[in-house]
Amino acid sequence: MAGGANPNNVTPPAGVNPFNAAAMAQGTAMGRVGQGLTATAADGMSNYTNPYETQVVEATLRDVGSQAQMGMNNLAAQAQQAKAFGGSRHGIAMGELGKSFNQQALDQAARLRQQGFTTALGASQADMATQLGAAGQLAGLGQQAFNYGKDIQNQQMVQGALQQQLSQALIDAAKGQYAGYTGAPSNALQQIISALAGAPSSAGQLAGETEKYQPGLFNFLQVAASA
Amino acid sequence: MSGGSKSTQKNLPKFYEQDLQQGMDFAQDVSAVGYTPYYGPDISAFSPMQNASFDSTNMMADAFNMPTADPANYMPEPTTFSNGIQGYSSAPLYGEAVDALAANRPGQKNYMDSFFVDPVTGQPGANQPSAQPVQYEMTAKRGK
Repeated sequence: MAGGANPNNVTPPAGVNPFNAAAMAQGTAMGRVGQGLTATAADGMSNYTNPYETQVVEATLRDVGSQAQMGMNNLAAQAQQAKAFGGSRHGIAMGELGKSFNQQALDQAARLRQQGFTTALGASQADMATQLGAAGQLAGLGQQAFNYGKDIQNQQMVQGALQQQLSQALIDAAKGQYAGYTGAPSNALQQIISALAGAPSSAGQLAGETEKYQPGLFNFLQVAASA
Repeated sequence: MSGGSKSTQKNLPKFYEQDLQQGMDFAQDVSAVGYTPYYGPDISAFSPMQNASFDSTNMMADAFNMPTADPANYMPEPTTFSNGIQGYSSAPLYGEAVDALAANRPGQKNYMDSFFVDPVTGQPGANQPSAQPVQYEMTAKRGK
């Protein structure tokens, strides 16, 4: 981490949060994968069709035609030397030669067109594979973005709860102090009650005594006699 | 039946009777204090980080077109207390409940209040024990 850079300090694109990024990635990936369920490589082949294919084929055909013409001329010259020009054998030879060059021209054209088709098909298939692979990668990145966001959200929840617990502990401590204040008179009374409750055990020893004397009839008579 | 009878009754010592009386007086005074409500915070408010977490959850739901909820619609605005602590106090709810009792059952509330001092003026309640004094009889012999 050069220059003490914060590894967590990643600036997302403006206005895009990880959840939006995840949703966009997932939506795009799903769209492409869904398209791939029905799409064929044929749709993309036109992108790879050689626009000069026809000219190439025509040029090839011209070459073959020129060769055919030259072959015809040679055959005519040979027939003339053999004094067979215009004869049936010359006609047959010309027919065979023409057929041969015609076949050659068709083979060349077919080969060229097959080559063009195969190339376009391969390229289109490669495109599809690349796009589906990219869609998979995009979905993975979307999942990654979502997980980043979720992890951060979890951290916020956990750390926020710690802060709230601290605050709650402070409140509880204040409530405890307040309960101590409002309960002080009652606590003082408890002290007095405890002290008084302990005294009766010794009250027997400390008790004072009140003597009561209930005079009887004899006492009254004594009093009367002494009067 | 010719003579009188003599009985001996044990009494608590004077100092103990005085302490007992003082204790009873104190108990009566204390019992007249009544309920002392707590007006401070009871519950801590959500911390800023928790609020950020709630916002993140909403952000998460919103990104996927799911319903969101504003926590402010559920919890009232917290009160900031003197040391900066933000929280919720049950005092307003308590006051509301007492007011409702006074409105619906004023007789019962006034009777309950009569056992205690007026929490505002400090005047003794009509029915608090110290308003109905009892003359204690000291039975201990003087000097003991």
